[in-house]
Amino acid sequence: MTANVPRPPFFPYFCGMNFSSKLIENAVESFAALPGIGRRTALRLVLHLVNQDADKTKDLTESLQKMRSGIRACEVCHNLSDERVCSVCADMRRDRGTICVVENIRDVMAIEETQQYRGLYHVLGGVINPIEGIGPDKLNAQTLMQRAAKDEVKEIIMAISPTIEGDTTIFYLTKNLKDFDVRVSTIARGVSFGGELEYADELTLGRSIVARVPYRAGE
Amino acid sequence: MHLKTLTLTNFKNYDLQTLAFSERLNCLTGRNGMGKTNVLDAIYYLCMCKSHFGINDRLVMQRGADFFRLEGDFVREEKKEKIVAKVIPRKRKEIERNGVVYKRLIDHIGLLPVVMAAPDDTVIAREGSEERRRFLDNTLSQSDPIYLRHLVAYNRLLSQRNALLKQFHAERRFDENLLQIFDEQMQEPAAFIVKARQQFLENFEPILKENYAAISEDQEGIACVYNSKLLTENFADLLHDAREKDRVLQRTTIGIHKDDLAFKIDAHALKVFASQGQLKSFILALKLAQYEFLRQHKGIAPLLLLDDIFDKLDRGRVRSLINLILEKNYGQTFITDTDENRLQDILSAAGSDFKIFSVDEGTVDG
Ligand SMILES: [Zn+2]
Repeated sequence: MTANVPRPPFFPYFCGMNFSSKLIENAVESFAALPGIGRRTALRLVLHLVNQDADKTKDLTESLQKMRSGIRACEVCHNLSDERVCSVCADMRRDRGTICVVENIRDVMAIEETQQYRGLYHVLGGVINPIEGIGPDKLNAQTLMQRAAKDEVKEIIMAISPTIEGDTTIFYLTKNLKDFDVRVSTIARGVSFGGELEYADELTLGRSIVARVPYRAGE
Repeated sequence: MHLKTLTLTNFKNYDLQTLAFSERLNCLTGRNGMGKTNVLDAIYYLCMCKSHFGINDRLVMQRGADFFRLEGDFVREEKKEKIVAKVIPRKRKEIERNGVVYKRLIDHIGLLPVVMAAPDDTVIAREGSEERRRFLDNTLSQSDPIYLRHLVAYNRLLSQRNALLKQFHAERRFDENLLQIFDEQMQEPAAFIVKARQQFLENFEPILKENYAAISEDQEGIACVYNSKLLTENFADLLHDAREKDRVLQRTTIGIHKDDLAFKIDAHALKVFASQGQLKSFILALKLAQYEFLRQHKGIAPLLLLDDIFDKLDRGRVRSLINLILEKNYGQTFITDTDENRLQDILSAAGSDFKIFSVDEGTVDG
């Protein structure tokens, strides 16, 4: 794969960024500011665009601009959306009595990927974490309460990562939901403790949503 | 259980060094500052995923290096256990067991129980309660993985609760309901830990007394008492009553993080009344009792690491300590000392299986 890519003949020369063109240099800087893209990759991408038709670059920048100016949070569930209400919330075939509470948009994507879940979502936007300055007021917690107050909602599934902060968040939300007529459940998951070498296994999250269990405090 | 071979790469003052150990007694000799203790610390690291001395990984690594690696071939209950630590400070720390990287480091703690005694251990008796809790937590974490999990959970919740109190202060508000969430979350780990510490002391104190009697030349009576407000009062009530105080001080003023051990000698506080010699004997007894407790509790003999415990002792005292170690039938033991001839003489006379390594400037012969 790498055989086709023109490799810089002398690496330090390129790392030193001795460009003859300020325009190239600026473009490289922009690419290199993206996560996971080093300066060498940035240079490769820029040179690739230079070698192609100008239209290709125009298509790329236009689609990015459109995406950025058009994308917004769904007014109901805070998922990413092109419209005021996202395609999940707008889909009348989905089970409107079940809401799955997740931390972020990536979790929605992971669960959708499994095609096992037919209910709605609620994207919290994080977990309660005072060390990071995140309290319930910084999360989409209030809108969840408003949704839970509606008659059609029967079950709320907490699909939140099994960390100390995740547990605290579930505990907080459940306490605030106790006056509503909803069943609260959590996804089946291994007991886990935060702090070290932990990563969210998105696939496991999606699969375990089917095998959910009723929530009881202190578990 | 024993360690067959150990390889250190870029660890403290070692470039690359492999050592093959005796199953019984290993003595590392050499002048101070040559790297004897570093070998013990490497063994400790492979058992506990960190340095015994509480220093961070950047300082554990050899100066100028950008990673360090430790590899130990252990035998535990007749099964080979290859443990590898690969550390890039501030980036990545991987502990492998038989080629599989642990997802969480805490899952490794307790697999290879270890007890280390070092000269600075007297801080356990002399300094604040934190050192004594560290001793408790070290022992209980190795004997019970559930304890360690509850401890990690409690400490995390405590940090979050303290952060919340600071945040309230900065924002000039106070949300009792949110604080209550943390109070309630802390109940279960706190209850588990108090019970575990209490039970531990019941088993541990007789073992400690026995070990002190064997080591000490005088025959004072000693005691070790667990103090926790949570023993007699309800933790939820205590937190509730302390709420105003916590609010003002912006930290949690009550909980198992305030527990302490009271060490006594002839019914007086050890810290105040013990002589230097008594203090040293007490601390060594404490470590040997920790060893005995772990052995009884886990059913396997932990590794015993004795760093410079013969310092400033006369020959007769060193001989009686070594004989005690040999008699008591400890498992694999590692000793550092500056006096090679002394150890050689005593050990040859005792007729036990042993190996002597001489350490000089980060290289080991043996
Ligand atoms: Zn939506």
